[in-house]
Amino acid sequence: MTVTAPTIPFFPPDLFAGDHDALLETVRAIGTGAAQKFILGEQTARLERELRDRLGAADVIACSSGTSALTLVLEATGVGRGDEVVVPAFGCAPLAAAVIDAGARPVFADIDPVRLTVDPDAAEALITSRTVALMPAHMFSVMADMPRFRELADRAGLRLIEDSALAQGGVLKGRPAGRWGDAGVHSFVQVKTFGMPGEGGVVITDDTELATAVRMLRNHGQDGVHRFVHHRVGHNSRFDEVMAAFQLQRLAGLDARLARRTEIATYYSRRFVSLADRGVIAPPVGGDGRFPYVYTVLAKHRAPLRAHLAAHGVASHVYYPRTLPAQPAFAPYAPGGASWPNAESAARYNLALPLYPHLTDLQAEHIADTVCAFTDTFREQ
Amino acid sequence: MRKISSASPGFSGTTDFEAASIPFFTQAATFDESWADIRGHLVDVLRRGKFSHGAKVAELECELARWTGARHVVGVNSGTDALIILLRAAGLCLGDEVIVPAYTFIATASSVVLAGGVPVFADIEAHGYGIDPRSVATVATDRTRMVMPAHLFDRMADMRGVCEVARRRGLTIVEDSAEAIGMRLDGRHAGLLGAGGVLSFFPAKTLGAIGDAGAVLTDDDRVAETARMLRHHGRGGHTVDNFPGIANPTVLPGRNSKMDDVQAAVLLAKLSRLETDIARRAELAARYDARLAQVPGVRAVPGGVPPRPGVDRACYVHLIEVDERDALAAHLAARGIGTEIYYPTPLHLQPCFAHLGHRPGDFPRAEAACAAAIALPLYPDLPDTHVDRVCDEIERFYAGR
Repeated sequence: MTVTAPTIPFFPPDLFAGDHDALLETVRAIGTGAAQKFILGEQTARLERELRDRLGAADVIACSSGTSALTLVLEATGVGRGDEVVVPAFGCAPLAAAVIDAGARPVFADIDPVRLTVDPDAAEALITSRTVALMPAHMFSVMADMPRFRELADRAGLRLIEDSALAQGGVLKGRPAGRWGDAGVHSFVQVKTFGMPGEGGVVITDDTELATAVRMLRNHGQDGVHRFVHHRVGHNSRFDEVMAAFQLQRLAGLDARLARRTEIATYYSRRFVSLADRGVIAPPVGGDGRFPYVYTVLAKHRAPLRAHLAAHGVASHVYYPRTLPAQPAFAPYAPGGASWPNAESAARYNLALPLYPHLTDLQAEHIADTVCAFTDTFREQ
Repeated sequence: MRKISSASPGFSGTTDFEAASIPFFTQAATFDESWADIRGHLVDVLRRGKFSHGAKVAELECELARWTGARHVVGVNSGTDALIILLRAAGLCLGDEVIVPAYTFIATASSVVLAGGVPVFADIEAHGYGIDPRSVATVATDRTRMVMPAHLFDRMADMRGVCEVARRRGLTIVEDSAEAIGMRLDGRHAGLLGAGGVLSFFPAKTLGAIGDAGAVLTDDDRVAETARMLRHHGRGGHTVDNFPGIANPTVLPGRNSKMDDVQAAVLLAKLSRLETDIARRAELAARYDARLAQVPGVRAVPGGVPPRPGVDRACYVHLIEVDERDALAAHLAARGIGTEIYYPTPLHLQPCFAHLGHRPGDFPRAEAACAAAIALPLYPDLPDTHVDRVCDEIERFYAGR
């Protein structure tokens, strides 16, 4: 019997269990520090430099969230009223909301049925004279087909904005996630692979002009030299010193945490390889352009599988139960009669299983066993 | 004199305050005194394990609602975000005009642009820093939908005058009350006199975090519900302290403006001593005024203008107007005394609003304030002796002219 064990959470509350004292000490040190500098200070600058060097980018600019990073990039690239930006039909709300926030119109492209990332052919077919940018997004554990998007953007003379918010650790053809676009982003919200106990994100770019614009836009349009002179209408999208100091301490352990996540994801996929014809399709694992953020299967009988998992002490999560054009907020931007069959299918079947560095081998085994047991019994019904 | 913790920087047991520099702002001693309380709240956050938009943020919202008397408090990432979210939640539509003062922090006007509106500037009152209701009446057009006074430094704008002109012109009032915690009119807290207001918890504020954070205040259920969605990607339903709520339907195009629970933890600890902190600020402000009101070269001190009837002051910034402002700032800086210029350039003359076509002279009172205003150190950690030293140096500067 396995039901007596406590539920394995999907969103674990103990992500930073090993760093409790570090967080308390960091808060106290910043709070009582002689500098009394709390926002965009030395710690933030150091974190930006460390990430810049790690990614090999020309610049990394810290800001208040991954969502805000997208907004800053869109505005810095000059996306505005009357413009169209091609985005995936399947994914997180900021893909559409950030475009709308910038005054432009999101144009939804269908996705690849296996990668679950936007299909370059579908994106190309939607390019019009009003299109100014393509914004592919990496999804769950798979990078979008960035070489194709890079080629397409260059050929069509469009900006390429890479929503790599969740893809820290991904590398494709030797190029890290976030560095394929004119600019990319990372989010550090707690569940991300480089998550932290608060909200924050970064913009990554090799374009120094774009970087200067982003730096200005994140702090009320100031140039960092002339205080209270506002060159542009900017945002308050800054980074807190407490979080920067904490992330600097956590950076050393990132590769080990990524490796552990990859190990678990690889194990799941090995266990699930035979389930494809039993209604559970595992994500592609291993190979180029993969990163171990969220382990999402496509489950033909999702509701019963979720119930079965729950009955056996395994929490699961449906990230995107509906496509972006089917969200009430974005329906007004979806052309009437249009459909996105692959996105709709992904919305119907996606189910994510627990994946985090401190998941034990036994827990991973139990989760895999439970999924396999479901496919056995469900097939027999 | 207020007890200074020996752990605070610059005060390591010495009584020789002449030697110590006086920063424009510090909360190191307050933070240190409050550490046990802050630590307790942080441990709660660590146990709960949701680090933004979590249970501690909800607790702070409740406590702030009680403290201010607001029906709803919606915690967000900054005061600026709070303004954008408030404007949208209060019904601002693309292209609507919002009247704002020409003398204030940039966010009062940039938030209007970021919410999709167009800022229209008005001048400030004759003997104060709030928007002038008569100027509001002058600049309003048939596209004007809202008026947003800002309550700066130590008191609220002329809200009776603003309400009157808003009623006549059919304008919605939203308040930039980012600086105004503790300010009240006839017992009603700033931010609750119209559709809603905001609070900023920027570290130097009267209630300051140690990072960016803010809140929307409103008594209007509909404004509150919309604001709650807008801060969390436009998602409906229950999302605070509820991770799976990220899969709720996206009802409106929103943004990510979730507050960090670490900041909520610090704020809850500081909120428990806010009345004392505000009283201390008032004491320090009175001490400055008593000395500086008579100094030749000092044109105006905050206490020189009595508050309007029914107004509770809360001294966030101690702003005086002086002759030779920049030379005085340099004189004080050379003696280790930090000051701040609020604000060197009025909003209608900022580069980002050049397209609105304003020229010097359009709002003379705002321009005059920008030329003469200087803010002095004011915070609960500041000892009386430091106020005296700042006053000595100001006297010395003008005596030596």
